[in-house]
Amino acid sequence: MTGPLAMLQDFSLTTNLWIALVVGFFFGFVLERAGFGDARNLTNIFYFRDMRVLRVMFSALCTAMVGLIVLSWIGLFDYSILLEYSLLKTYLLPQVVGGILFGLGFVIGGYCPGTAVVGLVSGKIDSVVFLAGMIVGMWIFAAGFPLWGSFYKSFDMGRITLWQIFGTSKEIMAVAIVVMALIAFVLARLGEKWHPYDK
Amino acid sequence: MHEPDYAKGFWNPYIAGIALGLVLLVTFYLMGTGLGASGAVARTAAVIAHGISPQFVETNGYFKGFYGAGVRHPLFDWVVVQVVGVFAGGLVAVITARRFRIGVGRGPTAGLGLRLSLAFFGGIIGGIGTRFAMGCTSGQALSGGATMAVGSWAFMMVVFATAFIAAYFVRREWS
Repeated sequence: MTGPLAMLQDFSLTTNLWIALVVGFFFGFVLERAGFGDARNLTNIFYFRDMRVLRVMFSALCTAMVGLIVLSWIGLFDYSILLEYSLLKTYLLPQVVGGILFGLGFVIGGYCPGTAVVGLVSGKIDSVVFLAGMIVGMWIFAAGFPLWGSFYKSFDMGRITLWQIFGTSKEIMAVAIVVMALIAFVLARLGEKWHPYDK
Repeated sequence: MHEPDYAKGFWNPYIAGIALGLVLLVTFYLMGTGLGASGAVARTAAVIAHGISPQFVETNGYFKGFYGAGVRHPLFDWVVVQVVGVFAGGLVAVITARRFRIGVGRGPTAGLGLRLSLAFFGGIIGGIGTRFAMGCTSGQALSGGATMAVGSWAFMMVVFATAFIAAYFVRREWS
């Protein structure tokens, strides 16, 4: 059957929520097995001690990216539905500002939201504190919304992809990203040999 | 290089990455959207705030979207249920690997007070960041990245660039 199933088959809310529970289960399971329940395994990348975050993230991204293209080739996935209805919209500058704040929060706090949940079930007190901080952060964002609400929805570029920006096909763009990931894997190994903070 | 105890016993990172990618692929095949996490925290924050001051939440420009007329309860939501799944899956993984330990992840010479206060502070900044970016490592970097969304890639690059630079200034926390 051609996907995305929930959009083409008009799944009921109950079905969708059961799917959420099951994919969430496997998401959490794999994150734990990747070592992402401990802040040290997550921040070591920034000190060139252990680049596992880069390896896991880029191999996951490439697997899903190539998988979606292959599924669309063999008629199991309608990529045009994704592009028209569910691709994440780009709000360029807000997302860059969000990226700066998030990058700071990641290395200072030691977690990102999903991994903090895995840290919590692993018994890590720091992840509970991080999650409490995030909730306060959400309150601050909401309280200041009158100030930055219009910026939040600015620089709206709509649903746009890298291959459209570069004027190429999604296949060529995907190959370029896979090559980039492979180069990053080689550089990661060199970075670990360098590990400048532990000399 | 010597591998510390906390890094032992996990899957090979490439295998873990492919497994994670397959979970993401199945999610896209079923739903047309990817995985998430920060949205569930935002909704939880709205619910707690609503318990303290319903009026603030219902008139607030950002939170009121979760509590409008005819809108289901904010926790009755796809990403919230998905994060409940993350709790369950993470817990099963931790228990079956006998890895549950109460503790704090920090550098060998970093103080407990320093680490916990920075965890809180980092959570605040990171939380605000997820709202401007409309997602986090799961929703934007991973899910948006796999579908080659422009904003997701901009977010991911900026996150890593910022964190690599900022790492220098908090090196005592992790060393």
